[in-house]
Amino acid sequence: MKETELTFWRASVYGSLGLVCFLGLWELAIRFHLIDPFFLPPPSQIFTRAIRMTTGPDAVLLSDIKISASRVLAGFSLSVLAGVPFGLVMGVSSVVRATLNPIISIIRPLPALSWIPLSMLWLGIDEQQKYAIVFMGCFASILVYTTDATMRVDPVLRRAARNLGASDFQVLRYVILPGALPDLLSGLKVVLAIAWTCVISAEMVGANSGLGFRIWTAKEWSDTGQVLVGMISISVTVLILDIAFRGIERLLLPWQRKASGT
Amino acid sequence: MALIQLDNVTKVFSSRKGDVEAVCGFSLSIRNGEVVTLVGASGCGKTTVLNMVAGFIAPTSGKVLLEGEPVLRVEPRCGMIFQSYALFPWLTVRENVEFGPKVKGISRKIRKKLSRNYIEMVGLTEFADSYPGELSGGMRQRVALCRALANKPDILLCDEPFAALDAMTRQVMQQELLNIVSRSGQTVFFITHSIDEALILSDRVVVMSARPGQVKAVYDIELSRPRKIDVQLTDEYLKIKRKIWDLVEEEVKASMISSG
Repeated sequence: MKETELTFWRASVYGSLGLVCFLGLWELAIRFHLIDPFFLPPPSQIFTRAIRMTTGPDAVLLSDIKISASRVLAGFSLSVLAGVPFGLVMGVSSVVRATLNPIISIIRPLPALSWIPLSMLWLGIDEQQKYAIVFMGCFASILVYTTDATMRVDPVLRRAARNLGASDFQVLRYVILPGALPDLLSGLKVVLAIAWTCVISAEMVGANSGLGFRIWTAKEWSDTGQVLVGMISISVTVLILDIAFRGIERLLLPWQRKASGT
Repeated sequence: MALIQLDNVTKVFSSRKGDVEAVCGFSLSIRNGEVVTLVGASGCGKTTVLNMVAGFIAPTSGKVLLEGEPVLRVEPRCGMIFQSYALFPWLTVRENVEFGPKVKGISRKIRKKLSRNYIEMVGLTEFADSYPGELSGGMRQRVALCRALANKPDILLCDEPFAALDAMTRQVMQQELLNIVSRSGQTVFFITHSIDEALILSDRVVVMSARPGQVKAVYDIELSRPRKIDVQLTDEYLKIKRKIWDLVEEEVKASMISSG
């Protein structure tokens, strides 16, 4: 079968069509009493609920989004700042790699959730604890992504740079870092999604604000509308962050956009 | 004194499967301003010789001397042109050419002038702000040539630089290299498996034996310069080409038998 690429507009039309059908079926299933709205409210009700949560007297949604997003960004930035330099060094030096690999292999498989008990004992439930959870969930992954990206830089480019007189540090700064950047950024995009999982889970277990907290409290009151508004807010926020990240990617990698191939 | 002196150089690569002697007892000296080409069958250790001159790998025994001093680390005075171009894909043509001067700490102003001159010399001025990924193979190799020359190497090492190019582009590139060499008196150590390429470019052709690589024969090429493509039709050219071809053929057959 011949597979042709759709244009952006045609793809958008099909996409909207799919979305409208999905929401329509959902709405109808409830209108025709196939599903009890107590368990799954219809889209129309979720929409009015969302409006009330953003404009009404108890408008908490936007501030919750802001709080969760800033936790994600703070924890994520911390782990980038720590993980990327470490990963670069690990990618370049086989000695450092061999030394640290066992430690990382032990830490990496641990789900961020498993750090919640310890982090709550150490840090309580304030902001630092949220950052710590994100950090523990992201750091090892960032380290591994950076190391892999570094090791995938074509060795002939390192050779060429040294042949042109570059010192070890200059090779790292001018060849390995930019050479690893494309793979590194796609790795970070994956880790950013992990960071969201961490924050939402941490907020569900112990917090006084944020989307995770809002969803969890709504469940206590059997308020499925609010649960769904919270869930959709996560989706939308992650989507927006992803678009922002792509923008940064395009800005940092102008050569990838123009090049037809290497 | 010779610019480059290889003295009884041997290189053994060890691996889990055992040791492989890539180069054995290789001796050669290259004078300033000479263009020397090393020809041999693939796998005979040509690139290993070049990598030792550049300082990428160290000889197992014997000496590699640059102006009488042993080459102990990667040597920026031996500018390398790689078969795979090895351009930095994230840098523009101009930035690639300026890489050597930049890491040496040469001021932006002088760098700019340098790169402008070299880029103009190979006719790529209008592509100065393009990325390597936007260029054809021949253009990329021109940029690589500029980048090596802008670093003012004592000797230009070329590792089959035109092997990946189509036949037409290849001839054009050979002529360009010839022009640059004749104008600047640049010393060149060139590796190829094409006898025609060797004969067009060189003052001397060194034929290498099959593995372990040794110098099998050296020919002074006295074809008059400047050499144009039609030199390939002269009797003198054909005579020497036949001689070298017989030698190389012997080695190719020998290596095919030894490697099964």
